[in-house]
Amino acid sequence: MPRHDASLWHSLRPWLALLGERRRRLILGALLMGLTLVSAIGLLALSGWFITATAMAGLLLAMGISATLDVYVPGGGIRFFAVTRTVSRYLERLYNHDIVLRLLADLRSRLFSVLSGLDAHTLSRRRASDWLNRLTADIDILDSLYLRLLAPALVALLAILGLAGFLALWAPRAGLAIGALLLLGWLWLTLGQARLGMAASRRQVGDLEQLRGRLIEQLQGLAELEAYRSLADHRARLAEIEARLYRDQRRLGRRVALGNALASLVVGLGMLLSLWLAAEAWSAGLLSGPLTVMMPLAVLAISEALAPLPAAFTWLGATRGAAERLNALEAQQGETAPENAFVRLPAGALSVTLADVTLTHADALVPALVEVSLGLAAGERLALCGASGAGKSSLAGLLTRQLRPQGGEVRLGGVALAAWPESALTKRVALLTQQTDLFDDTLAANLRVGDPEAGESRLWRVLAMVELADWALALPRGLDTCVGEGGKRLSGGQSRRLALARLLLCEPDLVVLDEPFAGLDADTAGRLATRLDEWLADRTVIYLVHQLGEVVDPPGIDRCLTLRSGRLCTNGQDVSG
Amino acid sequence: MGSPDEATGELTARRYLKDLAAGERRRLRLAVLAGTSAGLLTIGQLVLMASFISRLLVEGAALSTLTPLLAGLMVVLPLRALALYLQETLAQVASVRIRQRVRRSLLDHLAQLGPVRLTSRHSASLANQLVEQVEALDGYFARFQPQLHLALLVPLSILLPVLWLDWLAAIFLLISAPLIPLFMALVGMGAERLNREQFAAVARLSGHFIDRVRGITTLQLFGRTSQATREVHAAADDYRQRSMRTLRLAFLSSAVLEFFASVAIAVVAIYVGFGLLGYIAYGPADELTLFSGLLVLLLAPEFFQPLRSLSQHYHDRAAALGAAEGLVALLTETPDARRMTGGAVPATSHDVLVELEAASVEHLGRGRVLGPVDLSLAAGEVVAVTGPSGVGKSTLLQLLAGFVAPASGSIRVAEGLRLAWMDQRPLLIQGSLADNLLLAAPDATEAEMRRALGRAGLSELLAALPLGLETRLGERGVGLSGGQAQRLALARVFLSRASLVLLDEPTASLDAETQDDLIEALQVLADEGRALVIATHHPALMALAKRRLSLEPEATPREVSHDAPA
Repeated sequence: MPRHDASLWHSLRPWLALLGERRRRLILGALLMGLTLVSAIGLLALSGWFITATAMAGLLLAMGISATLDVYVPGGGIRFFAVTRTVSRYLERLYNHDIVLRLLADLRSRLFSVLSGLDAHTLSRRRASDWLNRLTADIDILDSLYLRLLAPALVALLAILGLAGFLALWAPRAGLAIGALLLLGWLWLTLGQARLGMAASRRQVGDLEQLRGRLIEQLQGLAELEAYRSLADHRARLAEIEARLYRDQRRLGRRVALGNALASLVVGLGMLLSLWLAAEAWSAGLLSGPLTVMMPLAVLAISEALAPLPAAFTWLGATRGAAERLNALEAQQGETAPENAFVRLPAGALSVTLADVTLTHADALVPALVEVSLGLAAGERLALCGASGAGKSSLAGLLTRQLRPQGGEVRLGGVALAAWPESALTKRVALLTQQTDLFDDTLAANLRVGDPEAGESRLWRVLAMVELADWALALPRGLDTCVGEGGKRLSGGQSRRLALARLLLCEPDLVVLDEPFAGLDADTAGRLATRLDEWLADRTVIYLVHQLGEVVDPPGIDRCLTLRSGRLCTNGQDVSG
Repeated sequence: MGSPDEATGELTARRYLKDLAAGERRRLRLAVLAGTSAGLLTIGQLVLMASFISRLLVEGAALSTLTPLLAGLMVVLPLRALALYLQETLAQVASVRIRQRVRRSLLDHLAQLGPVRLTSRHSASLANQLVEQVEALDGYFARFQPQLHLALLVPLSILLPVLWLDWLAAIFLLISAPLIPLFMALVGMGAERLNREQFAAVARLSGHFIDRVRGITTLQLFGRTSQATREVHAAADDYRQRSMRTLRLAFLSSAVLEFFASVAIAVVAIYVGFGLLGYIAYGPADELTLFSGLLVLLLAPEFFQPLRSLSQHYHDRAAALGAAEGLVALLTETPDARRMTGGAVPATSHDVLVELEAASVEHLGRGRVLGPVDLSLAAGEVVAVTGPSGVGKSTLLQLLAGFVAPASGSIRVAEGLRLAWMDQRPLLIQGSLADNLLLAAPDATEAEMRRALGRAGLSELLAALPLGLETRLGERGVGLSGGQAQRLALARVFLSRASLVLLDEPTASLDAETQDDLIEALQVLADEGRALVIATHHPALMALAKRRLSLEPEATPREVSHDAPA
């Protein structure tokens, strides 16, 4: 594989390095695999040797010639191999499965930390559940790197070399010839098969993904497709992808079958070759009868080592594709913030300055924010109005450094945002996002995202502030109640208030609240506004709202500005008081 | 295929898989035939090998006289490889064809169920079913099904020569063979329950991971990502510890097979060896020769091999059964029979587009959701459908579009009526801007597309796109905002030759500017002489309509007020 090799190595290298951290276990796991294989070879070879030895001794006895044969050592050996083969197979499977699960834990946490480094826009495009499915599928594929690819290939290679060496002890020519033949076979079954299947298996996941995408389109757009009578056209597009997918699958299937057939042929030819060479040596008086039989039988038993290779290596492209996608994800990580201990950050409420800030998302035609300039004194409360898509969330992303501007500068408390240490930033700037993210965990755990150290009394206090305390108290499991996936066991209003309560556990100096009262009825919102007003004292506040004066306005607005298509309209009316 | 079980009238997962296999019976049988041939050729190979060794060592034949045996092996080995190749490829083609057929039938079924019935389902998980669950059938047909037959046929065809060579050895094999499934069943019964728990645990673990990834922005904001990373690792490690406990039992089944395969070789070797030495006085042992002894030894592992392969493919069966259950649940959901077929009859009068007569709609489990309603819609009319949410405004549009059939009353539709549909979630397909427009009119020219985009207020966008109509939209292309997507749907309406346009809350969730543009555009559509039916709360949209159909909750459904203030 002259052209592919470098990049294949390149894509797999980080993951091989990850495997390397568990080197000792991997070696032990492979050793157990090898022990199983050696036992299988030993069992068949020794049995063949034993039968031949007894037959020849029996013949001599029948002719009246006295012959002695120790039957107890080989008999014991046969029993030994039979037991080690069973036991080591069991242990090998158990031990290697343990390794695979350990690797899975490593892979998941590594990927998670990679994802933590992605910016808000990249993440928001990747929240769709189909993308998450692909992510977990990719992790599972990579997980098989050791068990399906590396270990079997390595064990087979060592077994071939060991077998060749063993045969060479008795018949050097046979050992050499068998070694050469099996090595060639090994090369083909690993590298050759990998090359044969590379392109098609690499395409598989992508094609499946496309198929899924088209299906979602069809299911979501069925009304329009049916009304316009274009369902058949759309199905034709789907059929085209499916045809390509299955053409590749059939191609891969044929190649795996070819590999499997070749594996059996190589073993058969090896057996034949060793039989012939051993027979020659026997005829020349260089080899005993039992050894002559042992050789082809040992070669036959190695088929167990070659059998798993073709399927695994023909599909190497799938592993490569998974590695490439995950590598691409790692490459998207933004530069990590400097942990600069020497920056002097002002205490108390933070002032905010935006100077000519421009932001364009990677896939967008028009910028999300255009030359936005804004000054906010410490402790001031600003309401930023605008329709959805006007750029409010982008601004919030900028202030929390989840997005980075292409032009202009953001300063918090007079310090350039880029110079803020990450820990200080997350501690002192809080954002209530428009979309409520709750975790499939207990109420308490969801609240403690805001402050892991918070005691129960504090949790109850913030729940009381958002008027959830009575409700939580009435729950049979209280704070230990699970909120369900994405908080789906709560109503929309409850989720919203829980998210707000979580925020109230922090002590930030700049608070950005995106539609704080969305989904709440006017009475609740009114009472919440009063309590929120108190908590917000001595903090700088930015409210992101659709429009003021709709139901209940957030408390204590000093100033109001409007964003329209990413531009700040400075003629916003003053609503002080 | 998918036909209900004749006896019980019920389609079960097992029954479904069986029906599917029947559809590819010929290929699957050929695969079994090829596999059996490979088994027979293996026997041939071993016979040739044993006789070569026996003639060489026992009879002292010269090497040169043994070349025919070698030549025989040279023929048998490639033939055996060929048979293996055929077995695999035939079964694989069968699997591909079955999966293709399953997906097609599912898509047909979904199309019959129609857009309304599908709204209750999550489209991503449904799409997942159509991709993953259909693909999960692969191993069952490509490997498990043929192997199930081979696990019976090949051991049987090995047993016969062994019986002829040495009946005692044959009896040993015969006794141990049924023991294997027995032991495996014993181990498997426990393992299957554990397996199910394992499955649930895997799902929970993936759920945990996905849950944390979904909320990663929040974790970033609170500065909790490193803590969450540790949690992800801890959860996976905890899962490992728990699952290792269950796997200790589950892996016993493979150990059982390994044990029998090993013991068979060991027992045969020792039995044959002692027999050849004359230590065994009873049975056929004194008739053993190197040839027969060696052949029995070589055949013993081959006897167990098909069973070992079968156990390796056993998880394919579990996966396919699990998938089939999901698919069967989908297929047994009966579509509304009247929807696609005789639901509508041609309208009586020529310029009437649609006529409802005391038509009502019922949804499964929810009872009546609309009507009875009377409505006669003439060409070019603009009707606003109003009423509180949940009163059935959308249902009325769905009824007019033919997505649902009336439970009582009737609907008459003008012959050859062309429809356009627009709701709050316009369809965006992956492909070019042109592909997205051509949905509505496959034969539209480029000029027509440009004009339609212009009328929908997308001229500026089009001008900003360097690739123009060929710009790719969607995941790998340009992302459209909600307002732009809605305008694109509007452009489709303009492009279509629909004489009836059904609009379900078209202005909801749009900003004021887009709303105004949309209302203006709808006026243009009305001026073109197209009939519009608009379900809306928006005063400006209501003002657009000459007629207003006000739906009231409960009992008074037919209050149609004509001549609403324009």
